[in-house]
Amino acid sequence: MTPRKTFLEALVAMLTPRDVLVSCLGANARYLPHLAVPAPCIALCDSMGAAIPLALGMALQRPDRHVIALEGDGSLMMSPNVLATVAAARPENLTALLWVNRHYESSGGQALPAAPVDWVGLARGLGLTHVEPVPDVATLHAAFPRARDARSPALLVLDVAFDPHEEIPPYSERPDEIRARFTVA
Amino acid sequence: MTLAASVPDTWIGRLMQAVRASAKIRAVDVAREEEAVAIACGASLAGGRGAVLIQNAGLLNCGGVLAGLVELYRIPCFFIVSYRGDGRDPIYYHTPKGRVTEATLGAWRLPYALADRAEDLAAQVARGVELADESRGPYVLLITGGDLE
Repeated sequence: MTPRKTFLEALVAMLTPRDVLVSCLGANARYLPHLAVPAPCIALCDSMGAAIPLALGMALQRPDRHVIALEGDGSLMMSPNVLATVAAARPENLTALLWVNRHYESSGGQALPAAPVDWVGLARGLGLTHVEPVPDVATLHAAFPRARDARSPALLVLDVAFDPHEEIPPYSERPDEIRARFTVA
Repeated sequence: MTLAASVPDTWIGRLMQAVRASAKIRAVDVAREEEAVAIACGASLAGGRGAVLIQNAGLLNCGGVLAGLVELYRIPCFFIVSYRGDGRDPIYYHTPKGRVTEATLGAWRLPYALADRAEDLAAQVARGVELADESRGPYVLLITGGDLE
């Protein structure tokens, strides 16, 4: 399986200044300030499950920008209903990446409820039509441009390695600092 | 407003019919109230102005997202909430929600007002939006079915 940071670096390398990035809380939010993200970026440090609906609001407000949401499987497990909301709203400019590592990594690495969730099947069942499993970086390199060009909301389901010893940097920015810097021109 | 995200009840559903008739406001039907809050915040962060139209039962679901998104990131967020179960609501099973609504708003330190249909309701909405903008936080206008007559 692919390490989180490898996926994240590959994604960031594909972003452009015309994109907008919304990250869920946890490891992705903690890594992002250390990467050269070329797009406006807002990273959450709380509020599990808010990344995709936050991105949806942005996508509907700004159809001229492509909005990318990063969400964890622990967060989406709490609120899978949002996928039906996205499917109903049908934004053409929203791509969500679901990071499936089967653990609540930011709260100490506890395992999620031990159910073999079929995220691709669930997303399709809730009405999303552009859903792709992403087992590795090579697939991400092909799948992300397809998602961006899909003219429909897209979900990429990333199979992410869980490493309980991964040294994830701490949060380095406060929410008010993140908010003050975030603008979508 | 540029966007209104909603989970309907009988009263909010009627209000959303009017929203849908507006060419200026994007109506977004959502599955659960926390989504509505985040969607409205997303619209505001992207340069628009988002509102949340829900029942008080749904507002009671929203403590986490209010604290962890709206308050923490200081995002203006205007709510119109149907106040089910207050003394004017004839439906008995709403009563427990009505009993805790204002107490919860107080405990969560959410600024709010009760809509007064004897006065100009449009001005009350405008004032609520303004207060949310000024405080960069939430503001709740509680309405009853009679306010929609």
